[in-house]
Amino acid sequence: MQTASVTPDAISSVLSNPSFDSSSDRPEIVVQVVDLKPIGNRYTFGANDGKTKVKAMFTASLTPEIISGKIQNLCLIRLIDFTVNDISSKSTKYFLVTKCEAVGSVLDSEINLESKSQEEEEATTEPKRQKLEHSPVSDVKMDVSTGITLKPKQEFVSKSASQIMTEQRGNAAPAARMSMTRRVHPLVSLNPYQGNWTIKVRVTNKGVMRNYKNARGEGCVFNVELTDEEGTQIQATMFNDAARKFYDRFQLGKVYYISRGTLKLANKQFKTIQNDYEMTLNDNSEVEEASSEEMFIPETKFNFIPIEELGMYVNQKELIDLIGVVQSVSPTMSIRRRTDNEMIPKRDITLADESKKTVVVSLWNDLATGIGQELLDMADKSPVIAIKSLKVGDFQGVSLSTISRSNVVINPESPEAKKLKSWFDSEGKEVSMSSIGSGMSPLSKNGSRSMYTDRVLLSHITSNPSLGEEKPVFLSTRAYISFIKPDQTMWYQACKTCNKKVTEALDSGYWCEGCQKKYEECSLRYIMAVKVTDSSGETWISSFNDEAEKILGCSADELNKLRSEEGEVNEYQTKLKEATWSCHAFRVSVTQNEYNGEKRQRVTVKGVAPVDFAAETRLLLQDISNKTNNKASQLLF
Amino acid sequence: MDTSSPSAFVNGALLRRYIGQKVRTVIQVIGSDTGSVVGKSTDDLQIVVRGPSPTPPLTTYLEVIGIAESDNSIRAETWTNFGNTFDPQNYNELCKLANGEFKHLFI
Repeated sequence: MQTASVTPDAISSVLSNPSFDSSSDRPEIVVQVVDLKPIGNRYTFGANDGKTKVKAMFTASLTPEIISGKIQNLCLIRLIDFTVNDISSKSTKYFLVTKCEAVGSVLDSEINLESKSQEEEEATTEPKRQKLEHSPVSDVKMDVSTGITLKPKQEFVSKSASQIMTEQRGNAAPAARMSMTRRVHPLVSLNPYQGNWTIKVRVTNKGVMRNYKNARGEGCVFNVELTDEEGTQIQATMFNDAARKFYDRFQLGKVYYISRGTLKLANKQFKTIQNDYEMTLNDNSEVEEASSEEMFIPETKFNFIPIEELGMYVNQKELIDLIGVVQSVSPTMSIRRRTDNEMIPKRDITLADESKKTVVVSLWNDLATGIGQELLDMADKSPVIAIKSLKVGDFQGVSLSTISRSNVVINPESPEAKKLKSWFDSEGKEVSMSSIGSGMSPLSKNGSRSMYTDRVLLSHITSNPSLGEEKPVFLSTRAYISFIKPDQTMWYQACKTCNKKVTEALDSGYWCEGCQKKYEECSLRYIMAVKVTDSSGETWISSFNDEAEKILGCSADELNKLRSEEGEVNEYQTKLKEATWSCHAFRVSVTQNEYNGEKRQRVTVKGVAPVDFAAETRLLLQDISNKTNNKASQLLF
Repeated sequence: MDTSSPSAFVNGALLRRYIGQKVRTVIQVIGSDTGSVVGKSTDDLQIVVRGPSPTPPLTTYLEVIGIAESDNSIRAETWTNFGNTFDPQNYNELCKLANGEFKHLFI
């Protein structure tokens, strides 16, 4: 009887020969399935050829065979069709098996063609301990031409059991207790009411150690972003002793078992990670490195927002995910970073989705040059792309930007992508779409309708000093200009090209930091403080160029000329006087600023429009009707 | 400002309440005859206005102040051009409020 076994050195020879790109070139190899476990609807495993183990995954089509028992853990399989892929962001590879068949009978332990001293480590309940003695994959020398693998002679040092324990455990709890709670819980199942958990997570982001001082004293703090195999993320914070203890232990990209942390509801103000809870680790918490164990970062968990709903995310801290069909890809542009004058590449792509709206996404740095180039080459095929962690800005209404954490996937294998592609192929291609930003700008022709939404009296703003604390609040109001201070710095010297502030050059001319150029001339742009009044109260607002020009009826350059004119009648004062006590409809934003530790409300004009009497009357009638209805319902009780 | 003879804000339906009294209303001219003007009130009823005709040029909407003669006619004393972009619904609501809930704020 022929005993089936693994193909010796199969894995190392495959890994060393990336030119095997079709199964016909590649000999059919037999490997053993170890560590078989499900992730979503697919199964991952370790492909073991007795000497080397590599991470592998079965495609979803093979899941039924695993469930039926045809493929089991520790069994041998002949790989008929598979590809070798990269684990994202790491230099290691994994096998994606699309076709295979079980051979022989299921074995009862992991095959190990290494030195015999492994035998006492057979028990698969402690896979970690086993690995300590395994030859690390990276040590294997590859001879590409002959496919013969050469290995340095194993330096084998015998260790006592307690030595092994301390090496592995480090600071962690004794094995007995650990193994009971070793069952790994998915991050999504954690809550503040159940403390008996262990999670297995990768550090996907690590903050710096910060020192703070508050009423209760001083301390230090840092936090990490943890991601588990399902893609769920959570932030973990450590203070003082715990911070010092774990700061060096937590390293970006490494995998850890963590238990005995506490959970509480996340502070929405600082939330960028999508989780209702956040974790705190203290001195009693356990953090143990999952040494040399790889953990998959599986298909990233996306939470797609339709383009037409992006409006409410503008300028918010929350990052969003987007999926769309590529309509156009720009060439790479070089933008100078203001902070350090470094040139960074950027590429703009336009995406469309079923909401029949388009949006521009700016790809920065590597995303612009790498994946951006790929997209440019395949733009005519209208690929679907999914992007995770985009920042939403207000350039041209709505604009999206990638950050270092952003992740772009071209033509992802997801139901949303399929749906999008089929929509595009059937109707999306032909349908006319509008940019999401065009309806947003308060200065657009359609923007006048925003003069009537969120309408308030000035007292609503002044009576609520914490308005706009978390995020800017947008309101509309109708008010009179009651005072424009004549001797204020009403404008700044601006670059004619980019409108940013310029500084006077030592020789004649003006230097623009943004354009990195010197110009002969500059223009003046308004930055004006104005007092407005209505029947309920008054407040100061600041107005920028376009709105101030509408209020005053002349440009800053013109007004400057008038200001410096001599004569009996000061035209400058006249202009200001004419603007005073004029009534306008304003669109404003209310935010909070800190001045010398004090929080102050800042009201900025976003748009201004002349009073439309009919529209205003309708608002008043609505108001009266609301008040009478309220009163009537009060009388009923 | 002469407040000796105030005029009540009326539309077509409210005119009957003030027969013999001074009223004011805004109408859209739909026709004219010798000595009278036919107009559409803000609540889409027909009102006939007798007396001196308004002097051209005339805009779409005109306000007339005069004495209510019947439930659909007024003897005009003063005409005023109210423009072409007048909102009749708003005026209509005003008439209702001025004669209803907020009558005490008016005459």
